[in-house]
Amino acid sequence: MTTETAQRRASTAPLISARGVTVKFDVARTGKQMIALSNIDLDVMEGECVTVLGPSGCGKTTFMNVVAGLVKPTSGSVFIDGDEVSGPGPDRAVVFQDYALLPWRTVFDNVRFGLEMQKKLSDGDWRDRVQNAIDMVGLSGFESSYPRELSGGMQQRVGLARAFVAEPRILLMDEPLGAVDALTREVMRDEIGKLIAQTGKTVLFITHSIEEAILLGDRIVVFKSKPGEIKEIITTGIEGMGSERNAQNDERFHELREHLWSVLANEAAAASK
Amino acid sequence: MTSFLATGPSLGGSRVGAWLAGLSLRSRILLISAEVVVMLALWQLVVGVFRWINPVFVPAPLSIFSGLGDILSSGAVAANAPASLQAWVVGFGLALVIAIPLGLLLGVSLPVDRIVGPIAWAIYATPSVAYQPLAKAWFGFGIGPVVFLVLVSAVFPIMFNLAAGIRTTNTSIISAAKVYGASKFRLYPAIYLPSTVPFLFAGLRQGVVLATIGMMVAELSGAAVGMGALIIRSTNTYQVGQAFAAIMLVVIFTISMVQVTTLVERWVAPWTRGAGK
Ligand SMILES: Nc1ncnc2c1ncn2[C@@H]1O[C@H](COP(=O)(O)OP(=O)(O)O)[C@@H](O)[C@H]1O
Ligand SMILES: [Mg+2]
Repeated sequence: MTTETAQRRASTAPLISARGVTVKFDVARTGKQMIALSNIDLDVMEGECVTVLGPSGCGKTTFMNVVAGLVKPTSGSVFIDGDEVSGPGPDRAVVFQDYALLPWRTVFDNVRFGLEMQKKLSDGDWRDRVQNAIDMVGLSGFESSYPRELSGGMQQRVGLARAFVAEPRILLMDEPLGAVDALTREVMRDEIGKLIAQTGKTVLFITHSIEEAILLGDRIVVFKSKPGEIKEIITTGIEGMGSERNAQNDERFHELREHLWSVLANEAAAASK
Repeated sequence: MTSFLATGPSLGGSRVGAWLAGLSLRSRILLISAEVVVMLALWQLVVGVFRWINPVFVPAPLSIFSGLGDILSSGAVAANAPASLQAWVVGFGLALVIAIPLGLLLGVSLPVDRIVGPIAWAIYATPSVAYQPLAKAWFGFGIGPVVFLVLVSAVFPIMFNLAAGIRTTNTSIISAAKVYGASKFRLYPAIYLPSTVPFLFAGLRQGVVLATIGMMVAELSGAAVGMGALIIRSTNTYQVGQAFAAIMLVVIFTISMVQVTTLVERWVAPWTRGAGK
């Protein structure tokens, strides 16, 4: 998969291209502006999985929201396949940290939400597509459950199915496993890795877990805070999207982990000053 | 999930709590019945047997039951309940018709909230007793003032809860809806309305209780018919048992209407049923 990606990367223009993205928020309390993101440049190639790592509050979610079309940058732009983003679109799907499921809808109806809003329910096979997505994330049998009847991990599986069924070119994941318990988190991390590899989607995966960033990412973008900027971009160079157990013996994995630890520790120290 | 649907503190915390939460419906009914029987027995002892309290002020349970028999058999209930019921239903119905569109508007539109909101809160904050003389002047002595007080009492909790429900719609659900293609227009039926349903029903339950209070306020101050009139007449003739029996009927009616509201909610909004098992 990595060699394939590398070939595609060499032959095509970036699918996602952020140019000078700056976001400022008005702070009502002080009447001043705070700079959440400053001058972000980033290219993501088709089929690539880029993980974004950084301390909390450094602007990761804001960046993803800009790419998703939910937040308009104060200056700069994001281009998808060369077209400037002006709002959300069917080429991008988002998996939210807090799942953002509709509590009044069953699993099945949550997953079909995207098709419904994009008026694709007239497609003859939509039921099969929804069912396939549910099966793919391992939720067969829970079609008529309500979100509150499911564990956090299972709710996020619904979030994943909802994203995949919309058949976007780009998957934006904002700490999708951030609210999931530790054990489920590792299991689902590996499953997400496999799904990404199988479907060949272009992925922007935000996390504050170093392991997730290394194991899922073709490249890792490290953010720093105050203001939110890119500190460095690292190509992982780890073959395949294996589980940590396989990668544990990998020297590169350890090297990366140590490096990222020290970078983030410095960042955290700087941020708390 | 940090949604507005998150339930409050669970009953299952302590050992007694866990035992209570684990009871079957039948055991729960038995428990409540036992509670009521014990309470009535104590009450009967305190008032009826030992006479620690003057029964003219608080009648003993047995005299309330005989009072209930009296007002049922004398036709007093049959003569007064329909008038109250009619005023309550008409007033509550009008409250719904007014509160639902206004509540939606108030929740959706900031300008409407800024302009209408303060006036509505001012009216809501006024004790309904204060409207009673006005209501009489406006609507005469028939069912009019009763309907008006029911309406004024029920309309605001429904309206404000509905508006609050819309304004507190989970923002990441709204983001998700936008991401998956909901137009601004589709957000209302697809997101805001369903997410406000639990708030609407919370408002309805409050509205039911306040509607009855409004009804009693209107009827107690000189209505010719109605349960309030029956209570006044019984008290004036020192038939306190009958007065308490009439109050009991009103309470039973109100609790039943709250239960009906909850049943309708379970039917309309099955997703709110039961804590996240
Ligand atoms: N809508 C907003 N209004 C004002 N400030 C915001 C808003 N969204 C985010 N911020 C601020 O921008 C900074 C970056 O937030 P965020 O992108 O959520 O960080 P991260 O996802 O990396 O934790 C934070 O300081 C946050 O308080
Ligand atoms: Mg975030």
